[in-house]
Amino acid sequence: MSARDAQLKRDVAGWLWVSPWVFGFLAFLLGPMLVSLYYSFTDYPLLEPPIWTGLDNYRRMLSDETFRAVLWRTAKFAIIFIPLATVFSLAIAGLLNGKVKAGGFFQAAVFIPTLVPMAGSAMIWLWMLNGEYGLINLSINRTLGWAGVSAPNWLSDSKWAMPSIVMISLWSIGQMVIVYLAALKEVPDEMLEAAAIDGMGPIRRYLSVVLPLISPVILFNVVTLMIGALQIFAIPYILSAATPGGDPRAMYFYTMYMYDNGFRYGQMGYASAQAWVQLLITLGLTAMLFIASKRLVHYRA
Amino acid sequence: MDEEPSKFSVMSRRAALTAMIAGGVGFAAFGPRGAKQTSDGRIVLDYWEKWTGHEARAMLKIVDAFNDSQKRIRVRYLTTAGIDQKALISVAAGDPPDLVGLWNYNVPQYAETGAILPLDELDVKGEVRPERYAQGFRPVLMHPDPRTKKNRQWAVVNTGGVLALYFNKQIFREAGLDPEHPPLTIEALEEANRKLILRAGPGTRSALERAGFLHIEPGWWSWIWGYSFGGSLYDAASDRSLAASPENVAGFDWVQRTSEEHGVDATKTFKAGFGNYDSPLNAFLTGKLAMVVQGPWLANVINAHGPKDANGRPSLDYGVIPMPMVASQLDEKHPVGLIDCDILVIPTGVKRPEACMEFMAYLQRQDNVEAMALAHYKNSPLAVSSKAFLENHPNRGILTFDAIAKSDRTYMVPRTRAWPQIKDEFDAGLQRMWSLERPAKDELAMIERRAQGYLDTVEAQRRQRGYGRTAKPV
Repeated sequence: MSARDAQLKRDVAGWLWVSPWVFGFLAFLLGPMLVSLYYSFTDYPLLEPPIWTGLDNYRRMLSDETFRAVLWRTAKFAIIFIPLATVFSLAIAGLLNGKVKAGGFFQAAVFIPTLVPMAGSAMIWLWMLNGEYGLINLSINRTLGWAGVSAPNWLSDSKWAMPSIVMISLWSIGQMVIVYLAALKEVPDEMLEAAAIDGMGPIRRYLSVVLPLISPVILFNVVTLMIGALQIFAIPYILSAATPGGDPRAMYFYTMYMYDNGFRYGQMGYASAQAWVQLLITLGLTAMLFIASKRLVHYRA
Repeated sequence: MDEEPSKFSVMSRRAALTAMIAGGVGFAAFGPRGAKQTSDGRIVLDYWEKWTGHEARAMLKIVDAFNDSQKRIRVRYLTTAGIDQKALISVAAGDPPDLVGLWNYNVPQYAETGAILPLDELDVKGEVRPERYAQGFRPVLMHPDPRTKKNRQWAVVNTGGVLALYFNKQIFREAGLDPEHPPLTIEALEEANRKLILRAGPGTRSALERAGFLHIEPGWWSWIWGYSFGGSLYDAASDRSLAASPENVAGFDWVQRTSEEHGVDATKTFKAGFGNYDSPLNAFLTGKLAMVVQGPWLANVINAHGPKDANGRPSLDYGVIPMPMVASQLDEKHPVGLIDCDILVIPTGVKRPEACMEFMAYLQRQDNVEAMALAHYKNSPLAVSSKAFLENHPNRGILTFDAIAKSDRTYMVPRTRAWPQIKDEFDAGLQRMWSLERPAKDELAMIERRAQGYLDTVEAQRRQRGYGRTAKPV
C-alpha cells in the first residue's frame, strides 16, 4: 500500500469516526439555523407555506411594544444577575478556598442545586416564596413582624417578580463556584507570599494579585452567564404559569415571547427573526466583552 | 516511537465502523414506524388526545368498544402532552395523526389554513350534523371556509361544559343570606359579596379570612366579565376588537370595585394560600371562597376532595346558578354562559378519512357522548339529554348547566386565529386591573389597540395568501 493510499485510508477512517457528530451538526444545528434564517424573512404561520416578506419581521420588532418590553426585562435581568452571580460565586469560592472544616461537604452543598432540574427548582421556589405559607415569608413575618415588617407577595406582586427570579437564579451558581475554586487553587502561593512581603494587605493582595490571575476564568464565567441570562426561559415560564394572582407579564422574558410566537401564535417567521436578533445581540455582547478583556484579563505565559 | 496497532485492534475498529453504518442504514430502512394496517387486515387509525387518568380511561373504554364492535378499523389511542403544539408541528410536517382532540379555540386556525377536513362532506349519513347538538354548542363546530366564504362544519364536540356560578349554601346561611335565593344579578352579587367577606380586623388592609366572589380565582377566564353586561369582545363581520366597548368597561369596573372591596394586597396574600384546583385545598372546598365561576367538572373535585358525611358521601352544601347578569340584561329563561369544550378533528392528508368519520360517528352516539360526559363530570353537548343522564349525573347542578347549554345566549371564545394573543393580553390586563394600577377604561383601550393589531396581522397573513376578509369567494 502506498503512503498516499494509507493517508487516504486514515482520512476516510477519521471522517467515518467523526461522522455521527458531523451528521448531528449538519442535521440538527447548522441546517435548522439556515432554515430559520430563511424563515425570518418570511411570513410563516406553520400550517401554511412560508411567503417571502423581506425585512418585514425585523421592521415589526421596532414597533412591537411587547418585544421592547421583553427585551428590556431580559436586559434588566442580565444587568442585575451577572454582577451579583459573579460577586457571590467569587465570595463563596474564596470562603471555600480557605482552611474550612468539612470543606468537601460545603462544596457539595453549593454544587448540588445545579443538579436539580429546572422544573423541580421552580416548584420548590414556588412554595418557598408563597405569599401566605412560604418558608421565607413565615420566617420574615415571625421574626420581624413586631417591627411592622411584612414580607412581600414575591411572585404575585409585579414589583417583586424580578428580584424573585434573580434570587432563584442565584441559587444555582454552584458550577461557577467550583470553577472559581479550581482557579483560586491554581494561584501560586509564592506570588501571594511575595506580595505579603512587599507589604500588601489581604484586600490589596486579592485585588492586585488574585483577581488578575483568575481573570481569564472570570471572563469565561461572565460570558457563559451572559448567554444564560439572555436565554432565561424555564424558571419564569413555570413560575408565571403556576403563580396564582400574579401578573404573567412581570415574568415574561425574551425567549418566552419567541416561543409563544413560534408555537402558540402561529408566527414562526417572526419567532425566527427574534431568534436571529437574539443571536446577534449575544454575539455582539460577547465580542464587546472580549475586546474589553484585552485590557482587563491577564493571561499567564 | 509510536506503537503499531495490533491486527486485532484494527479489525475491531473496522468491524465497529461497519456495524455502525449497517446499523444506521438498517434503522433508517427497517426501523420502527407506525403500522397502518394490522396483521388481520384492519385499517389502523392513530388518535391523539390530551387526557390522562380517569378521563383517558373513559375514552379508552369507548375506543375498545369500537374496536370490538367491527372488524374493519382499529383505533390506537395515544395520550399526548402539549397536544395543540404537537398537532401543529405534525400537520406542518405532513405527518399528522388520523384524529386529534383539540380545544374549541383551535378551530379558526386549523380551518382557515386548510389543516383539517370539513366534516359536512364526509358525514354522508348525517350522524354528526350540527342540529344534533345543543344550541349553545353549534357555533363551536362551525367556521367560515375562508376561500369559499361558506360556513362549514369542521369538528365534533368530544366533551363540553358551560360555566356557571357555584355558591356555598352553608356560608350563605352563616352570612345571613338566603341560599334558596342566590344572587341572579350583578347588583345582588355585589351586595352578597359585602356580607360574605370576613376579615381578621377592620379596614381593607387587614387579612382576609373569607372572600365572597373573586374574578381572579381561578383566573382561567380573564376576559368574560363584560358578557354579564351584554358585551362581547369581537365582531367577526368587521374583524374588529370590541375590548373597550362600554359593556366591557362596565364589566371590568365591576372587577375593580370587587378588588377595592376585598383589598388589593389582602387579596394577593389570601390567594397565595389557595391550594391547587384539583386538591383538598381548593379555596371553594375549604370555605375560603363563598362563590366561584366554574364548569360542571368542579363536582369531580368536590366529590373527590370535599368534606364527607359519616357515610363517606360528599357533604359540601352547594348550589349552582347561571352567571349573574346586570339587572337590565337578566332573562332567567335565556341564561348566559361561556361554552368551553374539547373538540375532535380530522387533519388534512389522512389516508382514510371515511374510516375516521366512522369512528367519529361512533363516538358521537348519544350513549357514548353521555358516558364520556358522566366520566368527565360535564354536561352533554347534545340537543337532547336522556333522563338517566340527568338523574345519574354527579353534579347536583346539572339541570342548570343543561339549561345554559340549550340557551340561545351562550357565547364562546372569539373565533379568530389571533385569540391566543388576545387572551394573553386579557390575562395580564386582568391582574393589572385587579391591582388597580389604572382605570379599567384605560387598560381596556390599550388591550383593544393591541388586539386590533393582532387581528390586522392575521388578516394580512390571509390577504397575502389570497383569502382575506374582503376577497371574493372561490
